[in-house]
Amino acid sequence: MGRSGNIILFISFVITQIVLSSLIDFGPLLFISVYPLFLLTRPANTSLNSLLLWAFAMGMVVDYFTNSIMGINSAAALVMTLFQVRILRLVSRKGELDTQSRPGLRELGLIRFGVYILSALLIHHTAISLAESFGVTHFIYNLPRMLISLFVNTLIILLIEFGLFYKNWR
Amino acid sequence: MWGKSPVIKFLSTLLLFLTLEVISISFISSESIFQQAKISGVVIKLKSVMDGLASGVKYYFGLQNVNEMLVRENLRLLRENERLKAFTNTDVDSLSLKISPSENFSYIPAKIIANSTNKLHNYLILNKGRVHGVRKDMGVISAVGVVGVISAVSDKYSYVISFLNINQSVSAMIKSSGTFGPMIWEGRRSDYAMLKEIPYHIDFMVGDTVVTSGFSSMFPPDIPLGTIRKSSVTKGSYNNIQVKLFQNFNSLHYVNIVVNNNKDELDFIQRGSNGSVR
Repeated sequence: MGRSGNIILFISFVITQIVLSSLIDFGPLLFISVYPLFLLTRPANTSLNSLLLWAFAMGMVVDYFTNSIMGINSAAALVMTLFQVRILRLVSRKGELDTQSRPGLRELGLIRFGVYILSALLIHHTAISLAESFGVTHFIYNLPRMLISLFVNTLIILLIEFGLFYKNWR
Repeated sequence: MWGKSPVIKFLSTLLLFLTLEVISISFISSESIFQQAKISGVVIKLKSVMDGLASGVKYYFGLQNVNEMLVRENLRLLRENERLKAFTNTDVDSLSLKISPSENFSYIPAKIIANSTNKLHNYLILNKGRVHGVRKDMGVISAVGVVGVISAVSDKYSYVISFLNINQSVSAMIKSSGTFGPMIWEGRRSDYAMLKEIPYHIDFMVGDTVVTSGFSSMFPPDIPLGTIRKSSVTKGSYNNIQVKLFQNFNSLHYVNIVVNNNKDELDFIQRGSNGSVR
């Protein structure tokens, strides 16, 4: 996929994120974030520096268009991206990462892809909760919100991956 | 070349991450009052720790001035104490004849410029001499003990034979009973001395305070010297008492030279009486 393809995908994810989180109000116990899928499925040979730049840009744009605190999604996305490569290395088989392939459901299989998404989202959501509360006391009160969101977002991301990318990439 | 070095790569990634993260967090703090309060709380805490460190360093370097101020203050209090004692001693019992009534002492503050503690004959050099009124055979004290006796004087300096000298002795007294005897340093440890010739029948406890007796023209009475640590009997009739000194000779910097205002008169009388006996 070329540069223009990446930018179109980027914009698509931003729009999806805006539509899902702004038009549908799930109440305070749930926040929707599907944009991590874009960052997590960057081609395996993308350098960490460009991944960080993608994450920052994505987080900032999402923060700007959804009604969240400016900077909170970019801070969390940066932390997630920092661990992303390491997690991917853990769940992938030897030699898989050297290719330009997209680490998606087709390449990793459901179990390994699910573990990859879940662990990356856990880091992302923990970072968001910490950035929202800036301390441990509020963090504990935020825990139900974080766990529910983690569950729902993992599910939505798996569905998007299955519905949109799994078939198209075949 | 640069891109291939793993250390450079790691550092550039870390720098990029930290920069972007700091930008994000500064956005967060400018956007939300809650986060702003939390972050400014952390910043204030950090700043107060830094300020505390800075003031600690500043305080340390200012200690010399503080010390000199305390020495002056101490001297003023000593003088005032002597003056007040003089008032209370006006109707003193005629039987308690001490050689040197305490109101007759005045003090010259001095700074130690050389001090030894690791010999058998230790000495000190003070920055006050003949021009400041220091004379040979004057006593030298600190707030917590006897330091020594002036042995030689030049115009600006004086040479003190330290109490930590095996030839030196001080007339000391157990405060609880009033029993007195010579206290000498035995040349072993700089924080212990031996109080000798205390009669066997005298009661005392471990921990009792030992002070100067005042039976000498060099030192005023009641300067605290140390506490009783243990004792042993010698020759069947005397206690030798080990005294833990209050004075730490290794950290001594400021002392007071004792001036006995009636020394000439006392010496004259002593010489006179000796003469008549002879």
